[in-house]
Amino acid sequence: MELSDANLQTLTEYLKKTLDPDPAIRRPAEKFLESVEGNQNYPLLLLTLLEKSQENVIKVCASVTFKNYIKRNWRIVEDEPNKICESDRIAIKANIVPLMLSSPEQIQKQLSDAISIIGREDFPQKWPDLLTEMVNRFQSGDFYVINGVLRTAHSLFKRYRHEFKSNELWTEIKLVLDGFALPLTNLFKATIELCSTHANDASALKVLFSSLILIAKLFYSLNFQDLPEFFEDNMETWMTNFHSLLTLDNKLLQTDDEEEAGLLELLKSQICDNAALYAQKYDEEFQPYLPRFVTAIWNLLVTTGQEVKYDLLVSNAIQFLASVCERPHYKHLFEDQNTLTSICEKVIVPNMEFRAADEEAFEDNSEEYIRRDLEGSDIDTRRRAACDLVRGLCRFFEGPVTGIFSGYVNSMLQEYAKNPSVNWKHKDAAIYLVTSLASKAQTQKHGITQANELVNLTEFFVNHIQPDLKSASVNEFPVLKADGIKYIMIFRNQVPKEQLLVSIPLLINHLQAESIVVHTYAAHALERLFTMRGTNNTTLITAAEMAPFVEVLLTNLFKALTLPGSSENEYIMKAIMRSFSLLQETIIPYIPSVITQLTQKLLAVSKNPSKPHFNHYMFESICLSIRITCKANPDAVGSFEEALFMVFTEILQNDVQEFIPYVFQVMSLLLEMHKNEIPSSYMALFPHLLQPVLWERTGNIPPLVRLLQAYLERGANTIASAAADKIPGLLGVFQKLIASKANDHQGFYLLNSIIEHMPPESVDQYRKQIFILLFQRLQNSKTTKFIKSFLVFINLYCIKYGALALQEIFDGIQPKMFGMVLDKIIIPEIQKVSGQVEKKICAVGITKILTECPAMMDTEYTKLWTPLLQALIGLFELPEDDTIPDEEHFIDIEDTPGYQTAFSQLAFAGKKEHDPVGQMVNNPRIHLAQSLHKLSTACPGRVPSMLSTSLNAEALQYLQGYLQAASVTLL
Amino acid sequence: MSLLIKHNERLRKFKNKGKDPTALRRQRVEVIVELRKAKKDEQILKRRNIEQNKMEMERSLSTGEGERNELSLEEIVQGVNGSDTELQLQATQATRRLLSRRKDPPINEIIKLGIIPRLVEFLTRADSAPLQFEAAWALTNIAAGTSDHTKAVVEGGALPAFISLLSSPHMHISEQSVWALGNIAGDGPLYRDALINCNAIPPLLALVSPATPVWFLRNITWTLSNFCRHKNPYPPLDAVQKILPAFICLLEHEDKEIISDSCWATSFLTDGSNDRIQVVVDTGILPRLVELMASPELIVLTPALRTIGNVVTGTNEQTQAAIDAGVLAVLPHLLQHAKPAIQKEAAWVLSNIAAGPCWQIQQLITCGLLPPLVELLDKGNFSAQKEAVWAVANLTTGGSVEQIVELVQSGVLKPLLNLLLAKDSKIILVILDTISNLFLAAEVLGETERLCLLVEKLDGLEKLEALQIHDNKMVCQVALNIIEKYFSGEVCELLLSLTWQ
Repeated sequence: MELSDANLQTLTEYLKKTLDPDPAIRRPAEKFLESVEGNQNYPLLLLTLLEKSQENVIKVCASVTFKNYIKRNWRIVEDEPNKICESDRIAIKANIVPLMLSSPEQIQKQLSDAISIIGREDFPQKWPDLLTEMVNRFQSGDFYVINGVLRTAHSLFKRYRHEFKSNELWTEIKLVLDGFALPLTNLFKATIELCSTHANDASALKVLFSSLILIAKLFYSLNFQDLPEFFEDNMETWMTNFHSLLTLDNKLLQTDDEEEAGLLELLKSQICDNAALYAQKYDEEFQPYLPRFVTAIWNLLVTTGQEVKYDLLVSNAIQFLASVCERPHYKHLFEDQNTLTSICEKVIVPNMEFRAADEEAFEDNSEEYIRRDLEGSDIDTRRRAACDLVRGLCRFFEGPVTGIFSGYVNSMLQEYAKNPSVNWKHKDAAIYLVTSLASKAQTQKHGITQANELVNLTEFFVNHIQPDLKSASVNEFPVLKADGIKYIMIFRNQVPKEQLLVSIPLLINHLQAESIVVHTYAAHALERLFTMRGTNNTTLITAAEMAPFVEVLLTNLFKALTLPGSSENEYIMKAIMRSFSLLQETIIPYIPSVITQLTQKLLAVSKNPSKPHFNHYMFESICLSIRITCKANPDAVGSFEEALFMVFTEILQNDVQEFIPYVFQVMSLLLEMHKNEIPSSYMALFPHLLQPVLWERTGNIPPLVRLLQAYLERGANTIASAAADKIPGLLGVFQKLIASKANDHQGFYLLNSIIEHMPPESVDQYRKQIFILLFQRLQNSKTTKFIKSFLVFINLYCIKYGALALQEIFDGIQPKMFGMVLDKIIIPEIQKVSGQVEKKICAVGITKILTECPAMMDTEYTKLWTPLLQALIGLFELPEDDTIPDEEHFIDIEDTPGYQTAFSQLAFAGKKEHDPVGQMVNNPRIHLAQSLHKLSTACPGRVPSMLSTSLNAEALQYLQGYLQAASVTLL
Repeated sequence: MSLLIKHNERLRKFKNKGKDPTALRRQRVEVIVELRKAKKDEQILKRRNIEQNKMEMERSLSTGEGERNELSLEEIVQGVNGSDTELQLQATQATRRLLSRRKDPPINEIIKLGIIPRLVEFLTRADSAPLQFEAAWALTNIAAGTSDHTKAVVEGGALPAFISLLSSPHMHISEQSVWALGNIAGDGPLYRDALINCNAIPPLLALVSPATPVWFLRNITWTLSNFCRHKNPYPPLDAVQKILPAFICLLEHEDKEIISDSCWATSFLTDGSNDRIQVVVDTGILPRLVELMASPELIVLTPALRTIGNVVTGTNEQTQAAIDAGVLAVLPHLLQHAKPAIQKEAAWVLSNIAAGPCWQIQQLITCGLLPPLVELLDKGNFSAQKEAVWAVANLTTGGSVEQIVELVQSGVLKPLLNLLLAKDSKIILVILDTISNLFLAAEVLGETERLCLLVEKLDGLEKLEALQIHDNKMVCQVALNIIEKYFSGEVCELLLSLTWQ
């Protein structure tokens, strides 16, 4: 690709097309650009266009395309080809900084991003002059250029704030400090001077303050990992200026906007962060400056208004005080009673108030409100910061602070009592104070509150919370209702049980409230109460205690799902699931109606699944309905199938990907409920389950394997007789799974079920092929996980088909192979097998090899007999060998069996642990002893002589223990 | 795969974690690159002779030197290069005076005059002791500068001259030579080894005797300590073996500066591989060093603590030697020392002992280290808190379940969770790993539920949730894992009880 006008013209055309709203035009253009981006000069053409194109839209489009191109291609990935040729790389690095600085803001931003992506890879080694190039621009005096440089520097250096300390990182920081710290300091001083000379020039001030913000951010990044020598030496300059900036105000910089923070606010919040960083990490060095900052920030807080635009500043400022007040040597700055009182009055209380903005969120943006309030994403809010400050103050001044606040709580409650409909916000603030400040760390029993607590929690509950919830109208004062319900949730471990029981009908009643927040909180509170633990590992609230409320609870929960805004409310669905699990058989009478409502819901949401949690709990609820009902009446399974299969078919036909893994799990559960032969409806589906396309999606694999296992468990004979032509397909699935390192264990689950359940003659013709496949995989890529599964499989095979059959099949593949398997795999690796059932299978299998395989007694395999016995005793007695070879450490954790986060596993569809040798062998040690005894009676004298010649003493001792326990002796 | 099996697997992993204990031990300097200023309380590498001692003062007063005008640089060059001994002395003295100025001595300028070879020559002028002395002093102060300055002195041929002056009949000349050699050896391994190869150690050691005055002995000790300093490479083992007996004696001296420098020497010798540590352990000096850790003198306590700290970075046996010497009895006080730097260093020592096997952890607990550790974790400054976090982390990695329970009962959880707010990703990660360890122990005891409740009550869950949006991906992931595993509702546990019903 030459840098020619023709090429520029072509590129312009295609870029234009990528902006076309019509996908038929846009998509091919995007494809084309992607197909040519590997050519030399392509990025340079883009840079030329973004600089010189006549059309602004093309400039912008080129800059965005360029940035994305850099993002995708700049990094050189090991073992992959370099996607940008070296000369282009050099040209880009040589030109991009000046180009960025001379570009209009929209383009500058894209290029600045591109620089930081390149910098992340190349800086400093492969881009040594970047720093000098940037620093030189500081002298330009052009603050438009300077801000471009600062912004780029910020995006390059901000990673110092979160990366782990390492020699490499610190070397880079040191290099940056050496080249950048002094010029930055000089720029800082110069900028501050310019601010005072231009104090009356609004537009100049804006540019200068943008610089100051970026400088303050750079200060934070450069000082984050440790206190650099340079900044320690220049602390006076920086801190004095930061301090005076904190106290600065200029009418010209004030904004009218109530929501968006202005430059002054942004700068001051960053300074608060910087001061907090120093106070937290460089305590000793910062000590002389700290009191000044406390005073300045304190004044700032007292004089800053309630508008949303100040939120960040206020919360950062409060966080600074919070982090300082709990350090022992600054304690004296706060201990004066007047100081404490005014902090409480002027800083904490005002910032805990429910503001108009909160009220709006409560009504119009409930989801966000709930997330913030319940799930702790309120990190930067004023309320949260105020709470943290109180906690900090309580560390040294718990008595006085609690005293001040209990006074406040009382006076606010009195205000409310005077005129509830006007003063309800006072009560909200009182409840908020209590819920966030009362210590949660008190004893659970009897709800006893400690002497210097803010309030007596139970009394407060009875006197101030319950009355609101008992009021006739569930829709009155919704904020106070939500507060009250939240109080129950938070203090559920402190409030005595009898009070919780009183609250349950109130909560059920509030499921009907119109306010989304209120009925969501009610559902959530019920869910939380139902999961509380009582004594003896039972739930605190029992099904019997809930008996009078079952009907109204279920009715209200399902009705709540019909309230506007809550049709897919995950809290309600979770409460439904939890109620089922608590109430157990008491819900059976309601199941017909419940299952109808659930299937209707399922049908509705399957059109467009959008709430993963809601969906998950819905399927859990379905599973619970099935389990609970069928436990009491196994025949009911048919009616569930009737109700569900219609919807399931639709989901499978429409290929609703999110739901398919769930459907397979529910089907497995249903199929396992059948006691007799497998119903024909399942058999009709069987061929479809083997379609390769289903197995392409990794999320389908575990539930599908589980479902096929259920088929084999219940219908092996039917498959053998009526669907024998499908056996190759089944083995095809096994073959596909076994080839993948991630899924091979699933392949073994399937194979083990085939071996265990299928009539032997139906798989006879495939057996050798199965072993050959396993050997191929063993040769190509042997992993610990594969070996473990392989060991379990061959031992299961041995149990099912006999030791002789096992030896014959190995030796049939290749002479002497059985010996090799024993010597190279079973004996050295058996210690790695994990899991009780797995170990038991191996123990019984090996016992059979030892005692029922003639070749072990009479051929060259005989020399392996004692080592094998020794390995078996080791399996019984030694700790498991969980070492993993180094090269396997990097296999993802998801690849190890048992760890199944990758797919949506339903807890209530859970499979019972299956022990294929359960009936046959109870205690494998005794079984070994008995089998050895049998062997020794068949060939007297041989066994004791083999033992005495080569079994090690410790193992022999264990073995004698087994023989004694089994009351047998060896002949 | 049933949850039961998963549980067992976890249990097993917990019991045989088999982490290599040496991997937990941390040398003092993990990161060689430093951003901070060099530590103020470290021993001085090179020193200029600026304080006029009494004898010198008297002498200069008696000659009326104090009132005399200073010579110009040209006059100095002339004087030094001339043949008149008196003028040579005056010029050398003037040079020395310039170099002894408190502020900004003109070392570079003096070097540029090209008079160093001449000054070195004066060292051999046995005919004029004052000239020898002034030259030695001037060269000492040049060698006290940067590496380039020291290099100029060495390349001027000063090494053999100074070494032979060690045996000068004039004590003050001998002393000045000791000082000069200290500066040269302090420059780095290259000159240190050059001096060792020139056989400087025997005449130095010969100066150590009960009759040596304290002020002289101080200089000798400091110089000898510089012979032990620097890694890459370490001083030759046979040289170390030669010097060590002297330090054993010097550590028994009553002068705190002599003790201090002797301790610094042992700290240098132990700051390295385990075989180097072993050389010091073998001398049997640990009990004395532990005793010195209790010294009220900061200059003694600091290097003694450092040495013992280095020793416990070694093998289990070496650590045990420090424990047997009584280190655990001294540490509680040091963890509460008034100076934060000492608290930090003591916590570092503790963290390495906590990285040891169960029985050493048990000794640590028995000696009552947990309460002061928790206190430090709670109230120390950040650098001390970081070390305390490591100590707790190591203890939860290698300790038995009972020991972990004891740790939790000492109240470690609250301060530990508070530190999740720290502005340091690594420390947050270490804390998260520690929390995971606590949960593993709780699982073994069937106390998961209680630990969950405790974490929640101490506002820990809030902090874990906040970490899910941390900028460091690893921190996010680990926090998320903990929440998902232990705090995401009770579905899994209910399932277990369901299948058992």
